[in-house]
Amino acid sequence: MSAFLKTLFGDAGTIAVVAIVMAAEVLLVASDQAASAAFAVPSLVLAGAAWLAKR
Amino acid sequence: MLDWTVAGPSFLTAAVEWVEAFTIVLAVSLSIGWRAASGAALTALTVLAAMTAIASGVLGLGLEIRWLQLTVGVFLLLFGVRWLAKAIARGAGLKALHDEAQEFADARAQLARGDWLASWLIAFKGVLLEGLEVWLVVVALGLHGRAWVSSAAGALAALLVVVAAGAMIRAPLARVPENAIKFAVGAMITAFGSFWTLEAIGGAAAWPWGDWSLLGLAACYALGGLALVALLRQPATVGAA
Repeated sequence: MSAFLKTLFGDAGTIAVVAIVMAAEVLLVASDQAASAAFAVPSLVLAGAAWLAKR
Repeated sequence: MLDWTVAGPSFLTAAVEWVEAFTIVLAVSLSIGWRAASGAALTALTVLAAMTAIASGVLGLGLEIRWLQLTVGVFLLLFGVRWLAKAIARGAGLKALHDEAQEFADARAQLARGDWLASWLIAFKGVLLEGLEVWLVVVALGLHGRAWVSSAAGALAALLVVVAAGAMIRAPLARVPENAIKFAVGAMITAFGSFWTLEAIGGAAAWPWGDWSLLGLAACYALGGLALVALLRQPATVGAA
């Protein structure tokens, strides 16, 4: 079962990266900065991928 | 008419996963025979086909597209970031490249200790778990313009190609450039995930160039990923290949 869940959701690190990206999207849209989100999101995703790759 | 922008990524993603599944089935077949190993693989594929049919039925119930985009986008991000990070780590030499021959040897060693049922379950679980990633992509890409047929056709074509190639050489398919495919698909899937999640939360206006932003995002992740490979490259890890 744990292998099934890990395949579906990834490990804790992956979930943390996506949670941070999602939180940033919500915060930027809520603060009327949706236009900045289009640039912030890719940067955050790449930073997250770099962190995951280095672990 | 097939939508190639959907069928293409679906084919590439599925090909990588089917190669891994085939390696496991091949190893199991040497222990319990082709018939039993193929039976386990077919059982797993039937489960995956049922899951795809159920998912397309549920997603086609007329739910608000925004929520579908958000849910599927989150899954695509989870999946894409993982693939992108793995491809970057392998490209930079931080992690060994995936070795089908090694996986084959490991599976055989594991099988040597088990019985018939355990071997059957290894083949079933292997195909189910590798196929689960294919299923995620088929469902997610199928949502794009309701292109279920194109998405499923891409994955099915990949399955046929891998099985045909594998049946001909009857050996682990070690020459598939898995990391390059993983890198390209990781960038595409992450682009879809970012696009859909932000569009679902912020509305269509959130992306300055509309649907064209998808291309920009894919390029950004691909080029950014390559830059990260160069940045993180380990000087003494050439042997990883």
